[in-house]
Amino acid sequence: MLTVLAVAGILGALITAATLLEDGTNPWRGLFTRGNGAHVWIHTKDAPDPATLKALDGVTDVAGPYRSAPATLVQSGKKTPVALQEMPAVLPAVGRPIVREGAWLDPDVPAGVVVERSFAKATGLRPGASFSVIGLNGADHALTVVGLAESGDQGFYPDWTPGLAWTLSATLRQVEPALGRSEAVTGLRLADPDATSLIVQRTITTLAGQVQRATTWREVQASMELDNRLLGVMLALFGVAGLVAAALAIANAVGGRVLAQQRDLATLKSLGFTRRQVVRMLVIEHGSLGLLGIALGVLCGRLITAYTLAETVVVPLSSAPLVAITCGAVLMVLVAVWLPAWRGGRTPPIPAAPSAPPRGHLSRMARVALLVRLPPALVLGARDAFTRRLPALLTTFGVAIPMMMITIGLGCWATLDAFRSHPEQVGQAAALTVRPGNLTSDAANRLVLGNPDVVASYPGTEVDTVVPGQTRTVRTRALGTVADPYPFSVVEGRMFRERGEAVAGQGLLDLLNVRIGDRTRLTIGGTPLIVRIVGRVLEPEQDGEVLSVALDSLAPKDALPPQYYGVVLRQGADPAIVRARLQSQGLEVTQAVNLADRLSVIRVIIVLLVVVLALLGLATMLTASALGLRDHALDLAVLKAMGLTPRQVMATLVTGTGLLVVLGVGAGALAGAAVSSGLIDLQGAASGIGAGIGRSPGAATLLVAVLTAVGAALLVALIPARRAARARIPVTPR
Amino acid sequence: MSPANEPGPTTAAVQAVNLVKVYQTGGLPVHAVRGVDLRVDRGEFVAIMGPSGSGKSTLVHMLGGLDGRTSGEIWVDGKRADTLNESGWAILRRQKIGFVFQFFNLVANMTVADNVELPALLGGSTPRHARERREYLLGELGLADKADASPAQLSGGEQQRVALARALANQPQVLLADEPTGNLDSRNTRDVLRLLGEVHRQGQTIVMVTHDARVAGLADRLVTLLDGMIVDDGAIAPPRRRTKPGAGDVVELRG
Repeated sequence: MLTVLAVAGILGALITAATLLEDGTNPWRGLFTRGNGAHVWIHTKDAPDPATLKALDGVTDVAGPYRSAPATLVQSGKKTPVALQEMPAVLPAVGRPIVREGAWLDPDVPAGVVVERSFAKATGLRPGASFSVIGLNGADHALTVVGLAESGDQGFYPDWTPGLAWTLSATLRQVEPALGRSEAVTGLRLADPDATSLIVQRTITTLAGQVQRATTWREVQASMELDNRLLGVMLALFGVAGLVAAALAIANAVGGRVLAQQRDLATLKSLGFTRRQVVRMLVIEHGSLGLLGIALGVLCGRLITAYTLAETVVVPLSSAPLVAITCGAVLMVLVAVWLPAWRGGRTPPIPAAPSAPPRGHLSRMARVALLVRLPPALVLGARDAFTRRLPALLTTFGVAIPMMMITIGLGCWATLDAFRSHPEQVGQAAALTVRPGNLTSDAANRLVLGNPDVVASYPGTEVDTVVPGQTRTVRTRALGTVADPYPFSVVEGRMFRERGEAVAGQGLLDLLNVRIGDRTRLTIGGTPLIVRIVGRVLEPEQDGEVLSVALDSLAPKDALPPQYYGVVLRQGADPAIVRARLQSQGLEVTQAVNLADRLSVIRVIIVLLVVVLALLGLATMLTASALGLRDHALDLAVLKAMGLTPRQVMATLVTGTGLLVVLGVGAGALAGAAVSSGLIDLQGAASGIGAGIGRSPGAATLLVAVLTAVGAALLVALIPARRAARARIPVTPR
Repeated sequence: MSPANEPGPTTAAVQAVNLVKVYQTGGLPVHAVRGVDLRVDRGEFVAIMGPSGSGKSTLVHMLGGLDGRTSGEIWVDGKRADTLNESGWAILRRQKIGFVFQFFNLVANMTVADNVELPALLGGSTPRHARERREYLLGELGLADKADASPAQLSGGEQQRVALARALANQPQVLLADEPTGNLDSRNTRDVLRLLGEVHRQGQTIVMVTHDARVAGLADRLVTLLDGMIVDDGAIAPPRRRTKPGAGDVVELRG
């Protein structure tokens, strides 16, 4: 029963985690599924006949055509291009935006628009805010935001421009009366998502020159993808560790049960069962329990994702990872079941006399124990803990591995906390990036420095760079000057000190296959340049594939005027307030997204994993204590007859399992603490950010975790121990 | 082997006053022991006999505190014991009561030596003293060379001898034996009985449950239980060792 529950819990959590992960790394799937999105969007000059498109082979449904017109959004003097697209007040069946805040369009509010959420976030629009748009004819129209919505049909702003706002068709006609200056947008939902290019070709042929452009779901998906290797690497690690711990727990549980059945197995064998039959019987018996657990877990996982997460845009996991998880779990369960079953199959028909107990252990240990005045229960319990070597080892490992992973998880948590509290240590010294907008860069810099919260501002420019042996370009960031360098977080080598020197992220070093001290020839913004890489920095951008140089290393045509200023704020200043203040002064300000925020989904995963791992540890614990009870209950009854008080009996049993747990927890925590920062650094290096980000969990956190684990374990061990304390002296032979 | 501080003859080693035990199993109360009065003096060897289900094992278990009483009093070494809680009983057993069971009940995962030393260590002896005591007892019982063996490697008779050594490890006031020979062949039975007789001669108080009249013949006094009540209680003449035991023993006793 315990096995079933443990397997079910593990699988449910794995599926939930995988769902969250899939959604966390790419929200497209959720948005697309929930919005019943169209696979292809066709932009044409005039509205096509939807019936013609629907008649195309492979097209199941058509959205639109909707009229779409470009306009300019004006907000406190700042102008942003926006695409206004008509939508009916009743959401269509295909390609419907998902309203996340406020309400959908209402015919009673003709000036109301629904703004795409990422665009609204970038422009600071909230439901109820009003703004004005200027049509191509120059006329000004006041509009109100009635809601914010997300859509799987267009990528996020600013990756995907212009920003999108949905209006009623009447409103659109007011803003842009001329049909010639607008286009028609039609969505096609396909029977086979992979047939996009074929369908696009057919549509172009059918509409004969009308099609201006077509976008497919692949482009949208690619633009929404968070290309975050660090996340992937961390999750893979947790997943593997979780599976290993689960396998241990199952093997332990089945092993315990096989031991408990040993007498029956011996009887069966004496009745003429072959070894193979016994193994098959055991595998079927326990394997079916495990498979039941898997089925339950899959069901739970789906139910959890379907119901509890229904409020968000999360949708149930797609089939490929689900099948992979299920198959992996089935395989793992079968292996974990087969091993103890094989051992069970080797049970001799007549149980052999148990091997000789450890010689004179009690006397020697008792002597030591008496010297330090240890109670006898502790001595007996400690002795009991190690009478069965293999289960003792399994238990210790079964507890140590989850504990190690929990410690590593805490290390990841601490690392994320360090990202947040010390962004300058991971190369995010500048909390704000200020672009001059329509001011001159000097004037902008003066404005910035006039702000009391600003400590320093560094002029910077980003240019594309052609590197040898690569077809694509990498980014070169010129920030600060040789005399006044930007505070890069150099973890290896040194900071650049003169022109022609540069520092790079791990990703770039890997890409170019160079080491610190090497010279490399680059073409930066069209100008050939030889730079010497003198140091490695922690580089959170672009998977670490960024070269950082001083602004005066670049040719003047690239360097002047600087594109932006990296602004370092006073410790404790709120970047959002400073940003708002600077924005009101007419500057374009973007706030650096803290690495921890980008990885925030990891925190959910860590919590989930800690819960699962704790469950696993607990399952191992329960098995161990049940086994201990079975092994020692009779002996304990005898000891009671010899004068052990019930409390001492309980203490003996709790010590027996508790000692293993304490050992496991201690070893796990130590191992975890020892490897966590190294492991996270390894992950950092693999993901391009570079080694040097890892933090070990704080001593206090670790202590609390260890104490909680041990406390919970002892509490759990107390339940069977209480039962054992009531054990009676056996009046039948064993 | 008797305690050094011999108290006056008025204190019984163990005494039961109107002892009653009612099992509540499956709703119907079963009266296992109905009002037993029994006084065992120091140095006495009492055999309790009776057919199966007459309550003799229950009586001995109650005297050792392994089973709770329903009503009545139990006095051990002049102190009231029936009012003790389980822990109190445990400590009393540790100091004053030794148990021998029909099925030996040795601790399987300890060596013979550890099995014998454990009660002494529990009772607070120093390890050195416990070891000396163990060596002495095993030597007396002819098991000195088996000290490091596992109980499972021993024959039944050897196991019972180890169990006897364990029961005597703490020099208990009373030795309670529940069918100590019930599971042994005649040769081992003879060995164990010889040992019991020896310790009795050294002053050990023994209460032994048996259904074997020949075994009971070893005792000073025979108590016969029937349906939870004492139906016969009388001294037996000091046994004359017979070279050829036979049915005559019983006839002689009953007579």
